[in-house]
Amino acid sequence: MFIKRLPVLMAAVLALSLLGTAGSSFAERPTVLAPCKQCHQPEKDLVRGTLVSVSERFKTINVQVGNKLVWVINYGDDLKLTGVDKVSSIPKEKEIGIRFTGDEKKPYAVSLTVKPPAKVAPEKLVTLDEMAKLVAMGTDKGNYLLFDSRPKPRFLEGHIPHAVSLPNDKFDELKDKVLPKEKDKLVIFYCGGVT
Amino acid sequence: MEKEIAHVLVDVRDAKEVEKGFISGAVSIPAKTLTSANDRFPADKSAPIILYSDTVDADSFKTVRSWGYKDTTVLNGGFGAWTKEGGKTEKGKPVTTISYVPKPRPGEISIEEFKAIAEKGAPGKIVLDVRDSDEAMNGMIKGAVNIPAGQLAERLKELPKDKEIITHCVTGIRAESAYEDLKEAGFKVRFLNALIQIDKDGKYEITKK
Repeated sequence: MFIKRLPVLMAAVLALSLLGTAGSSFAERPTVLAPCKQCHQPEKDLVRGTLVSVSERFKTINVQVGNKLVWVINYGDDLKLTGVDKVSSIPKEKEIGIRFTGDEKKPYAVSLTVKPPAKVAPEKLVTLDEMAKLVAMGTDKGNYLLFDSRPKPRFLEGHIPHAVSLPNDKFDELKDKVLPKEKDKLVIFYCGGVT
Repeated sequence: MEKEIAHVLVDVRDAKEVEKGFISGAVSIPAKTLTSANDRFPADKSAPIILYSDTVDADSFKTVRSWGYKDTTVLNGGFGAWTKEGGKTEKGKPVTTISYVPKPRPGEISIEEFKAIAEKGAPGKIVLDVRDSDEAMNGMIKGAVNIPAGQLAERLKELPKDKEIITHCVTGIRAESAYEDLKEAGFKVRFLNALIQIDKDGKYEITKK
């Protein structure tokens, strides 16, 4: 059974790799990283992705745009920056957009924008009135869970009734323990504002 | 309360009940007389006020909150929960006047000392910026090291054990959380509990909270 299937598998791998090379040699290279597509349409002369590295010596910026796709873009002193002061201060993995001239094999950066803080969509927010009603009902009757994202000591000093402590910086560590198994349950988070 | 954070603890039960037993350090102001007791509360509106009763007393909370005391809380479960947890209590005549002396939070560094370190640096001390890297990219204190609070646990190796670490963020909240984590990991550490803004040249402005 296993031996019989092997050649099929190998053929598939071969076909895939052929497709891969064929794809990049004559089609246009993608310019937008998948998560950026939630808000941005692809544009031919605008690369959107995450910063891999900057070489000030070679005057290049490397931008991750796909799993195995990194754009290498040249820049000069005329680069227009928005949201940051100098190229070297942008942290790695930060979402950036670069408008360029020239063809995709030798792109030259015209302007670079660092992604500003995202705005929360109104449908993701709970209003104060709704929250007050839920708190009055309690988590069982209201069918929700409330999480306090502030540091644990702050939680211990005082918190909204029925809230569960889930400090933001401990999220990954604690999420499986405290988040509900039912994925359709309403989950609400709050914090203390600017930190 | 165990952490020695200055606070005001108010027992809003009836005086008769209070005499039978109350939480150590509590001030007795029965709920009935609370509305006329505004002038007995501290001048400092940021003082943490903790109220307790037999039940969750939402009315007393609203009253005190309406006077502008932002940090007003109600003890979960009231006096019953406190005794059940084995908390310290007293009997007899309780205090009826509030005295509140603000104290720095444990681990807090004074603004003056922080400035001196940020200005000239200090041997044996390092400033640790625990803001996210995209906040730090627009300006950091000269000589400071940036490790975002969320990455601290896995990057402890980058920090020296023989130096005192001074953490800061924007408001002191994340800095305090980092202080707790570092202290637990055995580091010598304090934190800046104030608002700080840093511009791209490393110039900064600190405002008291």
